[in-house]
Formats: sequence, structure tokens, C-alpha cells
Amino acid sequence: MTPQAEIPTPSYTLNCRMSQEAAALERLCQVVRIRGFRIARMAVETAGEHLDIALTLEGTRPIAMLKSQLEKLHTVAEVALGSPAVARSRSA
Amino acid sequence: MNGAQHILEAFHRHNISTVFGYPGGCIMPLYDALVDDVGVEHVLCRHEQACALAADGYARASGKLGVCIATSGPGATNLITGVANAHRDSIPMLVITGQVPSGLIGTDAFQETDVLGMTLGIVKHSYLVDDADTLPAIMEEAIALAQSGRPGPVWIDIPKDLLLSQVAEAPLPQPEFREPACPDLTDALTMLRSARKPLLYSGGGISLAHAEDRFRAFAETSALPAVVTLKGIGNPGKHNPYNLGMLGMHGSRAANRAVDECDLLLVIGARLDDRATGKLDGFAPNAKTIHIDADAAEFNKLRPADLAIRGDLNAILAELTGALTSKPLAIRNWQQQCRTWHTTGGFQAADNEEALAPITGPAFIRQLSRIAPDDTIVACDVGQHQMWVAQHYEFDHPRHHLTSGGLGTMGFGLPAAIGAQFADRSRMVINVTGDGSFMMNAQELATIRRYNLPVKLIVLDNQCLGMVRQQQELFYNNRESHINLDDNPDFVAMARAFDIPALHIERTDQIRRGIETIIAYNGPMLLHVAISRQDNVWPIVKPGASNREMIDETRRISTANKEQVA
Repeated sequence: MTPQAEIPTPSYTLNCRMSQEAAALERLCQVVRIRGFRIARMAVETAGEHLDIALTLEGTRPIAMLKSQLEKLHTVAEVALGSPAVARSRSA
Repeated sequence: MNGAQHILEAFHRHNISTVFGYPGGCIMPLYDALVDDVGVEHVLCRHEQACALAADGYARASGKLGVCIATSGPGATNLITGVANAHRDSIPMLVITGQVPSGLIGTDAFQETDVLGMTLGIVKHSYLVDDADTLPAIMEEAIALAQSGRPGPVWIDIPKDLLLSQVAEAPLPQPEFREPACPDLTDALTMLRSARKPLLYSGGGISLAHAEDRFRAFAETSALPAVVTLKGIGNPGKHNPYNLGMLGMHGSRAANRAVDECDLLLVIGARLDDRATGKLDGFAPNAKTIHIDADAAEFNKLRPADLAIRGDLNAILAELTGALTSKPLAIRNWQQQCRTWHTTGGFQAADNEEALAPITGPAFIRQLSRIAPDDTIVACDVGQHQMWVAQHYEFDHPRHHLTSGGLGTMGFGLPAAIGAQFADRSRMVINVTGDGSFMMNAQELATIRRYNLPVKLIVLDNQCLGMVRQQQELFYNNRESHINLDDNPDFVAMARAFDIPALHIERTDQIRRGIETIIAYNGPMLLHVAISRQDNVWPIVKPGASNREMIDETRRISTANKEQVA
């Protein structure tokens, strides 16, 4: 039996600044999930009236699509893609 | 002024004169304020879902903001389908719900639900008010946000105690959502002029931008062959000689053929939805794509764009029209080819000359289109009748055709027709529905009666869930599963129980008289039309297949069932 090939899942870092409001993080996470990404790591810091969120994401869809969806959120001030993170692998 | 009174004051300031709602415990302060307010007409529907769908229909027909109101808990959850419907079709809507008092949030109080949490995915934005003094700014922002850029529903959830709290007077903010300026269109014009077979592909974004007139002028000036999505129907007008009609799963052969053969696709205000494109690999395989939209997130989402242009559609269309007026496109052969395809492969349905023959959906809709006044608004439900209307009714303006495109909400049509009738009391409004869809919001017959709305109701009754039955026949080896509705109530008697007169027809020779009777009647009336259970919508593309693989009646089961649908 031939062993299954390991297909690396692309991984990305993404930094997001958004207003502090009720359900801010839920709103962000909901978009990340429905647009096809998994949160591998998440760090949140308060910066005055804003939240600075650093995300490490895994997913096979184009990350630019997620970025443009996050930028549409009314309370998101800025989204920046970081340098690609180390890719993880999963079985096909 | 308390929070509730402030909401009404904001309605006045923004010329919001009609709202659709249903009272209950936590929203009672707002309803108490309504007692003293004569400037806002509150329409009491019989189910919160219908409130949201009526507000949706009001917004689609008028181009204005739709507003719906409900209480906490079940009031809010009942709104959700209607709000999701508006979200998927980018309809401007303001949703206001009462919430349990601030101190009780999170205690599992009576009629408490986490409205903010459960609606995140179906709104453009949402608020849970936690301080009465923030309500004025939130109202201003929400009303502006719902109508700006790509519109959508904005939901404000307000605890009951804050509706009763005094709101501090302060200068109101003036939220501004700047639209992008008209971008440079040089590259777009170069691509257009270089193309030998350019095709115009438009959707609901034209109406959302209030750009119908500009679009029509552009289509006429460019003389581009044009296809439309379900939500784009009515553009660029029924008299445009190059209008090939709807493309996609139930589109015309002419429209899908033109997409297949074109070498440039000019997509304006459309999102390349799967029901329109079919299998993406086979969609417009020879074409470059120019994608113009108000929402940058639509670019490259499903199909890479060779050129993506974000901006105000009115400004872009005006500039494109100006450029093509001075130097028209040279595409005569392509235009002629498309017209030939339209002649031979447009939507067709024979008018059955046999007086006693059973009624078919397409023949009925064609007669309705010929008899109804030109500016009639038709609100559809979802299913086979919806597609027959899209295929065979000749609309001349997209606001005349109200249909649930993205969500496909059965039960949309009747409340949407109510909303449209409130948007214009003098207009002929017809709800074309099926027996399945009609029963999903039939309680709204009471709303029609209460307000004496002259809405005409046409129920195409095939005693089953026709679209599901059709797909089971074609793609599931005719294994019918839970689609039988032959125990429907007597719809004529049902309408009469709501004091709405009704007629029944079942033969071809009764169509004209039936339609003329309900149109001539000065008030609401229902026409019950018995049609065959076996009638299908043709052509059809199997879900997941390429639009090139259209199936029509002559190729039906023999080819359709060869492989199971994905």
C-alpha cells in the first residue's frame, strides 16, 4: 500500500487592528472561519480604543480573499499580511 | 427624550415613514412611543419573518431603506431568515430589536437570546447598545452604513432599560462613507476596443447603485450583446435588441452560448454566482474578464479578473458611455450572431391553442406579462414558478422584479409584495407563488386584508414541491422524496376565509379571463391556477456542471441521470 502524500497546508500571519466593540473578536473569527481558514494562533492586545490582533492562519484558499473580506468589516481599521509562516502538513 | 422616542425622531429626520414590525415585551417602550407618533406608519405583520421580508420588498421596490422591528428572543430569531435574505441580496435594511434589560443579559432571562452573536454572519454590521447616550450616534451610523457602498442589513439590539432611559442631547455625528472616485478607464476601453466578441454581464449591483438609467444608456450606446443574472433581470430593458436575457442554470441557450463564445466578459455589478456561472472551469473559457463593482472583495473571488475596477457605477458607466459615443465599437458580426442565437435559442413557450388543454406555467406567465400594466411589480417566491417568471415575463426595469436571489427564501413573495405595495400604493403589485412557497407565509393574507392592500395573488399549484421533484426526476433517478403536497388546503376557500375573493382556473381558455379579472378588481384577489405536476423548467444545467451541458426537454432523463449530482 502506497503511503499517502503529505500535502502542506499554507500558513499565514495576519495583523489586524479593529475598534473595541461588543463581539469584535467573534466577528473577526466568524469571517476567518466561514472564508475557509483555521486559527492556529491568536494574540490580542488592547491599544487605546483599538484591539491589535495577531493571527496565524492555516488554509488552502487565497489569503488575499480573506484579507479583502476582513477589510469590509465596519470596525476593522487595518489588515496587514505578514511574512509567510512555516507551513504545517496534513495527510491528503 | 428617551431612547425609544429618539429612535422615532431619527426615523423622521431620515424620512423613514413606513416600518414593519411586531410588538413584544422588551420592545414595548418603542411601541409605547409609537402611540403618540403619527408620522411613522407601523405595519403590523403576522410573523416577524414577514416583517423582515416586507421591509426587504419595500426596499427593493422603492430603493429606500427598509426597516423592521421585533422584540427579543423569538421575535429576533424569527427575523433572521428575512435579514439573511436581505444580506445575501445586499438590500439596505435597518433592524431594531428589543433586548432584555442590561442587568439581565447573560442570566438566561425570559425571552433572552444572544442576538448579536447569532446574527454576525447575516448582517453588514450590528450593535448591542450598552449606553443610552450612544444611541443617537449609533442610529446615524447604522442608517448611513446600511445604504452606503454595497448596501446591507444593519441590526441594532437595544436593552429595554435603555429604550426607557433619557438620552443626553448632543450634536449628532454626520457619518460619511466616502465612495471611491471614478478610476482610470483607459485600460478597460482598450480591452473593449480590442475584443471581437465582447459581452456585457450585469447583475443586481446596477440597481443597488441606483444606476439603472446610466446602465441602460451604456448598453444602448455600446450596443454590446448583454446577459443578466436573476437579479439583473429588467436591465438593460426589454426593447434592447441585444438583450439575451438570463444566463445560468435556467438561463436561455442564447445567453449561455454567448458567454461560451465571447472573448471579453464585461462584468458589472455581479458576483459570478454559481447558479449563473455553472462549473467555473467551463465558464466563458475563451474570455478575458473586466470586473467592475462597488465591492472589492468580489474581485478574483471565483474567477480571476484581467482588470478589476472598483468605484461608483454611475460615474464609471457615464464615462464609458461618453467614450463609446464618440467612437463606437466595431462588432457588427458578433452582434448579428447573438441576435440569431436569441431568435433560435431564446426562451420559448408555445401558447397552447387548445381551449381545454391544461395550463402550463410558461404559457400562463407569458399571458400575464402581456396583460399586466407595464410598470407592474411582480414579487416571486422560490421554485419553478420563480424561474418561469424570470424566463418568460418581460420586465423593463429591475425594480419591477422582486426575487430572492442569493438565499432562495421560500415564503419571500407574499410579504415582499406587501412591502412593495406600501412603497407605492398606486402601483399594480402581483405575487406569483407556488403552492409550497405560499404556505410558508400565508398568514400574511391577514395583513393584506387589514390594510386593504390591492395585492394580486397568483398561486401556481402543482400539488408538490416542483423544483425538488424536477431535480429528483432528473438527477436522482426519479426517486421522489417528500415532495408531495396533494393534501394542500383549498386555497380559494382559504383566501375567502381572510375575506379575500378568489378564483380557480385550470384550462388554457380560462387564463386570459382569470388574469383580467384579478387585475380589474379594485382590491386584493387570489387566482388559483392548477398546473400539471409533471411540468419542468427548461432548460436546466445540472448543479455543478458546465453551462455548456444544458439539458432541455428532448434530452431529459436519458442524459441527466447518467451520474449522480454532487
